[in-house]
Amino acid sequence: MSANIKIVLIILSIALITLSGGGPARAEVGVTDKSILTGCSNSFSGPLAFTGMELVKYGIEIYFNEINERGGVNGRKLIHKSYDDGYDPTKAVANTKRLVEEDKVFSILSPQGTSPIFATVDYLEQQKVPLIFPFQGSPLSGKLIFTTFTTYPRETEIVVHWFVKTKGWKKIGMIYQDDKYGLTYRETAVETLKGMGMELAAQESVKRGAIDMSAQMAKLGQADLDVLMVILVPGPGAMAIKESKKLGWTKTKLVSAGPLTDEKFIILSGGEGEGVWGFSLWPDPVHSKKPAMVEYRKNLEKYAPGHVPNRYSLFGYFYGRLFAEGVKRAGKDLTRDQLIKALEGIKNWENGIISPVTFSPTDHEAQKDGFMVEVRENVFKPISGWISLEGGKLAERPLGE
Amino acid sequence: MLLVGAGVLFFLSPLVLGRYMVFILNLFAVYALVSIGLNLVMGYTGQISAGHAGFLAIGAYFTAIVGTKMGWMPALLILPLAGLFTGLIGFLLGIPILRLKGFYIAMATLAFGVVVGEIILQWSGLTHGDDGFHVPRAALAGFVFNSDKRLFYLVQPITLGMVLVARNIVRRRVGRAFIAIRQSEIASQTMGIHLAKYKTSAFAVSAFYTGIAGGLFAFVITHISPDSFNLGVSIDFIAMIVIGGMGSILGSIIGAVILTGLQQLLTGLPEVQMLIFGVALILFMIFMPRGISGMLFDLREKLGKSGNGEGKGKEVNGTFPDGMKRG
Repeated sequence: MSANIKIVLIILSIALITLSGGGPARAEVGVTDKSILTGCSNSFSGPLAFTGMELVKYGIEIYFNEINERGGVNGRKLIHKSYDDGYDPTKAVANTKRLVEEDKVFSILSPQGTSPIFATVDYLEQQKVPLIFPFQGSPLSGKLIFTTFTTYPRETEIVVHWFVKTKGWKKIGMIYQDDKYGLTYRETAVETLKGMGMELAAQESVKRGAIDMSAQMAKLGQADLDVLMVILVPGPGAMAIKESKKLGWTKTKLVSAGPLTDEKFIILSGGEGEGVWGFSLWPDPVHSKKPAMVEYRKNLEKYAPGHVPNRYSLFGYFYGRLFAEGVKRAGKDLTRDQLIKALEGIKNWENGIISPVTFSPTDHEAQKDGFMVEVRENVFKPISGWISLEGGKLAERPLGE
Repeated sequence: MLLVGAGVLFFLSPLVLGRYMVFILNLFAVYALVSIGLNLVMGYTGQISAGHAGFLAIGAYFTAIVGTKMGWMPALLILPLAGLFTGLIGFLLGIPILRLKGFYIAMATLAFGVVVGEIILQWSGLTHGDDGFHVPRAALAGFVFNSDKRLFYLVQPITLGMVLVARNIVRRRVGRAFIAIRQSEIASQTMGIHLAKYKTSAFAVSAFYTGIAGGLFAFVITHISPDSFNLGVSIDFIAMIVIGGMGSILGSIIGAVILTGLQQLLTGLPEVQMLIFGVALILFMIFMPRGISGMLFDLREKLGKSGNGEGKGKEVNGTFPDGMKRG
């Protein structure tokens, strides 16, 4: 019996010794003289695995490789660590806790998916860990949170204004996925139109995962619409296009939502996407001649030869670059507070890819605009400049292509 | 004595372990409860359930909603209520399932899991739909369980208590009736076992366990959404009892720990995780059809030892005269 107690005591004391003796005090968690550690939980399996793989492995990591080869930021190498959650919020919480408490990351950088991200927000706030550039489009704000692409409600407002003011369209319809993504668009569209004394002429919902749109499209066809907003994901979105061709629609323009305006959507529509419009958040990743875009493709080719450029790796690459810019401005004595202050100090940051980025203590949204595109010969061609809403008025500035 | 030592050590572990490890221990406990619940209906009674994520969701949402609307209610009252409510749903589900056999039960329970997810999504006035639900902190007489280490002392004692209760259930008349039903429904009926009563109560007890696990899950995860309870989660639960051992309480715990632990370990290796996971599952099915607890039992038999925990041996023995062949 006494032997047992001894064993217990020995184990306890060993555990205490190994765990209580941390390293020497550091300036900030995740920051050493030589490196800065960031991390994220992301989808490397499950429905959004492609997006996750592209944005982390072929986006953030490629940019970090490139800048590290040039000596890093203020002499520190950027390191990104990621774990798979397969779009399961439970796993996202576990991964994020692991990153914060075991790996001791400086900040969370670009996790993916509304549900997984929202599940970790309270925890990160409690631990005072910055959540930088998450990949999702629902409105999200906080002192330590910086968001990325134009939020879904903002996009809807811009697009509806453009339809009504610029195109003079009156009969606006919508086919949307019956979940938070689709409902956010629908609610905002209804509100925005109400503000103009109009209403949504027709609307049909599609269950997540469904691929048969024939009933919905047949009903929408009877409404004699000027435009149909397509708020779906690539597979069903392509089906909606095919269905419209089958039904012989000629008058109604199909316009895809920002998350849908993606090369995969064109491929899936099998050549029938010709003439479809969409709201684009990015320059064409494959064809754009902008010098910054050429550089992105050059680096992708250098570190991942033969890998096809797309909007997701571009996202990772771009926001990796913006993160590095913030870190550079925060200076040698890098802390989490310094990073937030430095990011908030970014004004009119010319980047050659999207509109100049401006942050302030009250504005943590990197992008607030987009441009309209048309599918011509299986490529998205711009048909407008960057459009945004400023004080409720539509504003347009040149694309710079 | 060694067991007591290990127990004491376990309950002192949050003092020395990192918060992430404590969080994982809490997750182990939650899944162990689900796994026990599933094993009661599937491993013991032989009714396949592919919808236990639905029960977990009901328990979790019940806890979150009641905890929000009735903030005064202590955690120790909410949790049993969540269990009872989920148990009632399980009982109601058990009634139509009486008419079904084998894979049709799997289909019906699968549908149940999907329907629960859909209801949560659509009833957004109550559940906040896709936005997810922020779970209020568990509290008990003014003490707030607002960290993983504090939650440890809520989650683990409840789990321990429920494990002991489960061991009692399966060793008594009810448990023996469950096993008899699995072996042969006709034979058990001729022996005077009321089939309808025991089958529905198997579902009710199973749902009760999973409902309480759901409540603890909500407290541990702190933010729940329909995506947390997808079909894959139900399948994971089945994998837990297959790996751990069908018809074994100890096996349920082992399976929950191994599967959850494996997932945590492999989460950093996205390229190979599905491969390792799939291969492991196939190997388990081929070489350890009775799971790890079955293998442990065989090992003990071979060594010819009675061991100290004679209860464990007996339990496995009693439930495995010939494995799952007839199940």
